[in-house]
Amino acid sequence: MTENSHVQEWAVRAERGSLPLIKLGTRIALWLGRPRARLFLYLVCLYFLASSPAAVRSSRQYLARVLGRRPRLNDVFGHYLTFASCLLDRVFLLNEQSEQFDIRIHGEEIVREIEQRGNGCMLFGAHFGSFEVTRAVGRCRSNLPISLLMYEENARKVRAALAAINPRLETEVIGLRRLDSLITVAERLSHGHFVGLLADRNVDGKDLVRYPFLGASAAFPQGPFRVAMLLQRPVVMMIGLYRGGRTYEVFFETLAEPVESRAEDNEGWIDGTMRRYVSRLEHYCRAAPLNWFNFYDFWA
Amino acid sequence: MRYPEIVALVTENHRAMTDSNDQNAQEAELARLIVKTLNLDLPAVKIDPQAPLYGEGLGLDSIDMLEIALAVSQQFGVKLRADDKDNVHIFSSLRSLNAYIQRNRAS
Repeated sequence: MTENSHVQEWAVRAERGSLPLIKLGTRIALWLGRPRARLFLYLVCLYFLASSPAAVRSSRQYLARVLGRRPRLNDVFGHYLTFASCLLDRVFLLNEQSEQFDIRIHGEEIVREIEQRGNGCMLFGAHFGSFEVTRAVGRCRSNLPISLLMYEENARKVRAALAAINPRLETEVIGLRRLDSLITVAERLSHGHFVGLLADRNVDGKDLVRYPFLGASAAFPQGPFRVAMLLQRPVVMMIGLYRGGRTYEVFFETLAEPVESRAEDNEGWIDGTMRRYVSRLEHYCRAAPLNWFNFYDFWA
Repeated sequence: MRYPEIVALVTENHRAMTDSNDQNAQEAELARLIVKTLNLDLPAVKIDPQAPLYGEGLGLDSIDMLEIALAVSQQFGVKLRADDKDNVHIFSSLRSLNAYIQRNRAS
């Protein structure tokens, strides 16, 4: 493990780490309740702030770009605290306690319309804010069928971790890297599923395209956009912002209508959709800077 | 010719057909479709009918597999299914993919 990936490792641990620990943490959090459990977050954040210099550096690097000034220590602490809050709230959101939160939804009509059309769509999120809060919206809405697409190594663990947080919750997770995983995606879509994925990070470094992002060029994976093009589905961006306290704001917005046919040259559609995704991500970064959860050098 | 000799001849003939490194006419058509669909930078006749399509071999990934599945369904009306346990085998080579298409085309 490189020094650089320390907090990534932390994120990963918190997301898919040892199952008994997640179960125990979940039980303690549910027993304490959210207000008291939150007190522990301050200790946890202080600990990680002190023990992960590389992640603090990448947090500072990001904050300097988005704030346009030298970040102070309390900016970095706030960044950590936002991340930790979203992780903790996941426990409550996944355990049907969304009534504890004040969740404001924007663009819900987009979801409703796609649901009525019955053809499904691609839902593109990012490592930004809370993905769980958008899933809570899905469950409120008459069991919106959502499938999550992610790397196979993670898929198994995420499935298990979600089950550890709430055993009654069923989530469809499609592992990527299998030869027929995208054929599975095609089938789910034809059943009207919303296929969600996080489109800001690429693990294997393939098919990266650089776009201007917060003042410098950063690499984004083309794969998700190519899949949406090939399967001729609308691309909807989905972002759940943590606004502090118990407030979340969920945004759905259409990034692209489906291509009409695969026959013509569609590279322009892919490029245009990626540009919109990146520029909207930048918009949300400026709107709620501390929700950025890529704790590594994103501009490398 | 006695019976064992005939069997030997037929068996050998069959082995020659299935083990051959040359594409037959249907395989050649499928190879052209794959090269055209994926804009591969190699002549269709150069695809070894027995080499793996996915991963090592031709080095295709799951997006390429999706493109092939879409093209095959458009051209031959044969749907590749996600829950098919045989997918690893079906996509294991040009030959096995072609065999699958021919099997399902008629029905």
